[in-house]
Amino acid sequence: MLNQVSLLAQAPPADVPLGWYLYLSVAMFCIGAVGVLVRRNPVVLFMCIELMLNAVNLSFLAFARYLPGLPVTLAVEDAATASTGGQIMVIFVMAVAAAEVAVGLGIIMAIFRQKNEVDVDDMSTLRG
Amino acid sequence: MKPEFLPIWLVVFLPICGAIIQGLLGKMLLQSLGPKWGKRIMGTIAVLPVAIAFAIALNLTFLLAKETDRLAIIKVFDWIHFQSLSIPFELRVDTLSMTMTLIITGIGSLIHIFATGYMADEKDYTRFFTYLNLFVACMLVLVLGNNLGLLFIGWEGVGVCSYLLIGFWYKDTANSKAANKAFIVNRIGDFGLTLGMFYLVYLIAGNREVLGITDTRWLSYDNILPHAAEFFKQFPTETTIISLLLFVGAMGKSAQFPLYIWLPDAMAGPTPVSALIHAATMVTSGVVLMNRMSPIVSQSALAMSVIAITGAVTALLGAAIAFGQTDIKKVLAFSTVSQLGYMFIGCGVGAFSGGLFHVITHAFFKALLFLGAGSVIYAMAHNQDMRNYGNLNKWIKITFALMVCGFIGIAGVPYIGAGAFSKESILMAAVNDHATLGVFGSTLTWGALAGWIGFLVAAMTAFYMTRMMLLTFFSGPERWLTIDPVHAHAGHDDHEHEHHHAHTHHGEDKHAFFYTEAEMADIDAKTEHEHHHDLDSHHKPKEVPMVMWLPLIPLALGSLGFLGFWLENNELLHNWLYPVHGEAHEEVAHAISHQMGLIISFVVSLGGIIGAFLVYFKKLPESEGWNFSKWNPIRRGALVQFGVDAVLADGSVRTGDIFGRAMKWFDENIIDGIVRGVGNVAGLLGGLLKQPQTGKVRSYAFLMLMGAAGMIAYIAYIINSRGGGN
Repeated sequence: MLNQVSLLAQAPPADVPLGWYLYLSVAMFCIGAVGVLVRRNPVVLFMCIELMLNAVNLSFLAFARYLPGLPVTLAVEDAATASTGGQIMVIFVMAVAAAEVAVGLGIIMAIFRQKNEVDVDDMSTLRG
Repeated sequence: MKPEFLPIWLVVFLPICGAIIQGLLGKMLLQSLGPKWGKRIMGTIAVLPVAIAFAIALNLTFLLAKETDRLAIIKVFDWIHFQSLSIPFELRVDTLSMTMTLIITGIGSLIHIFATGYMADEKDYTRFFTYLNLFVACMLVLVLGNNLGLLFIGWEGVGVCSYLLIGFWYKDTANSKAANKAFIVNRIGDFGLTLGMFYLVYLIAGNREVLGITDTRWLSYDNILPHAAEFFKQFPTETTIISLLLFVGAMGKSAQFPLYIWLPDAMAGPTPVSALIHAATMVTSGVVLMNRMSPIVSQSALAMSVIAITGAVTALLGAAIAFGQTDIKKVLAFSTVSQLGYMFIGCGVGAFSGGLFHVITHAFFKALLFLGAGSVIYAMAHNQDMRNYGNLNKWIKITFALMVCGFIGIAGVPYIGAGAFSKESILMAAVNDHATLGVFGSTLTWGALAGWIGFLVAAMTAFYMTRMMLLTFFSGPERWLTIDPVHAHAGHDDHEHEHHHAHTHHGEDKHAFFYTEAEMADIDAKTEHEHHHDLDSHHKPKEVPMVMWLPLIPLALGSLGFLGFWLENNELLHNWLYPVHGEAHEEVAHAISHQMGLIISFVVSLGGIIGAFLVYFKKLPESEGWNFSKWNPIRRGALVQFGVDAVLADGSVRTGDIFGRAMKWFDENIIDGIVRGVGNVAGLLGGLLKQPQTGKVRSYAFLMLMGAAGMIAYIAYIINSRGGGN
């Protein structure tokens, strides 16, 4: 993978280099991860998880675009020849994320009806 | 195989048939025929097999007397058959087995006849005769079996029947306890017998060629015994061990000290059972075993000494305890223990035929005395305490006359009592004995010591038997006429459980283990049984019906001197049994001559009788009355068997308790400790592993993140280190 990253040099100068996408992706993932760790509101937690998922989605798309042997410009006419694997994966991730949110919000609602508050640290009855 | 002896299988088969008919069809027949005729017919059906068996056995005995080798073996069927071992169901017709068969069936049929009268009021009439017939069958297998396997079947069979009959009135807890005690104590003896048998089998199995056994029936007597004397001489240690183990078996069945403790309690059974099983036949099976194994046992001087001295201790203890008993059946029970001691003195000094002689005479007079006592008890409203009797010779003359015959037999009145001859033949052999070891190395042998103790016991026997007879039939006025109501229930006998009042004083069932009071009252109301009255001052003893005194007449004749004289004369019995015991009687210099022995017998028996007459003829002495505090301490000791029973029974219970506690501790601490330890280790590991399981989502997330980061770092490191970078 690092080999591919070194291909940046061959990328056309007008385009955004792959590295930038990856830096953004890492930054988003870290923000999301820190948010999951430090926040106690489950709604915010979900937002953070979504952030992490989207960070990964971003890197998928970036790699899909920049994989070797494919057109290296971002011109619209080249999109047809871009790798579909990464894009399909993104669709899957979004579908799973949507389902996860639906279930998760349902759980949150149920807990709220019980306790009139939602705090993930209080939801620790399944401890050993 | 001699075909003329084939009918011997009928002797065993008939009582079995009787038991089956009584057991399976008895109740039905009894109901359909009505209580009166039903009992008469079922009683006849019970007596017939035993009586016919007696007739067959008598016929076969005459046939046997004509045989030169006096031995016939009849194979009935194959029982156990392997390639190299077969234990067929063989019956051995020889002088010993036929002598015992005649006693068992002869006296057995008389007692069966008596029982049809004695048990006439019994509801479970056929159950009683099922057991009694089965007992006769088992006893016959025991004596007639031609190998140790069959002996063991009979041995256990009579034990079971004894258990069933002692606990015949099982609704009474005391009877059940007595039955259990008899069975358990007998198991101790059986344990010894089993070990002895196995050791014997083991020894023979390894030396079949030496014994000249050619076929596979190497457990059969006719293969073992002919060469046993020479063979067992080569194995002195083994022979001693086998003999002692077999003797332990005999101790259990024949109530030798210290295993005698079951016999007195066994008197809880109906009186005919006491007479047949616990006096005449089953308890003598130990003597039969010793006789049968005499070629082996007599090879070990140590075993012989132990047998002789155990017999002497038993005889002495039994006689001493009999002095303190007030229950007429208990006196007879301890007298049985004492007389069994004599038989073992005989076996111990090598006078096996003497031992068997006493078995024969004892069977007659003890069965007679027990049945006579049964008649007395029957006449006295089932009260067994002699302190309530007195002057009964005026009331029940026939029973009195018959019991006097039995008394003459057991007390050993010289020349006119059968017991005198058999006792004398044992004691003369004993005091002149050289076969046993010296007492602590002295010239007096254990056998001779046993013999002198035997003479002392003969005097004691004469004394306590006279006491029993006088307290019952003489000793002043009728004591029940002035009876204190408190004492009316003392020593109430077995029959009582049938009635409601039994529930409150004798067979009380405190925990309502078997029946509640209400149920018991209900049963009493339903039962057809006639409610017999307690012994009170209006009681008039009635002579028993003819069916209960007629069978006693042959027994009475046997108790008198004719039988003893006939068997003793020219050593008839000894020569008859010669094929069983081998070695002819060798005439050695007698330290105590025959005349001397006769004089001693005279002195001891007459001395005992006269002594007792002086004390008891006029009245019941104050010192043996109702007030125990006036009794002298020795007699009080005798009443409680000098604590032997308590020490042994409680001691074994306590030992068992301690052992049980130790086992409980072992189980709770060691076994459970191991099991719990395994669990604890798992728990400890689980406790460690559950620490990260906090239930906090964020901490899980953190750990996942760290793990993922670590994995990625590791993969990156691997790729790097393989030079994947470039």
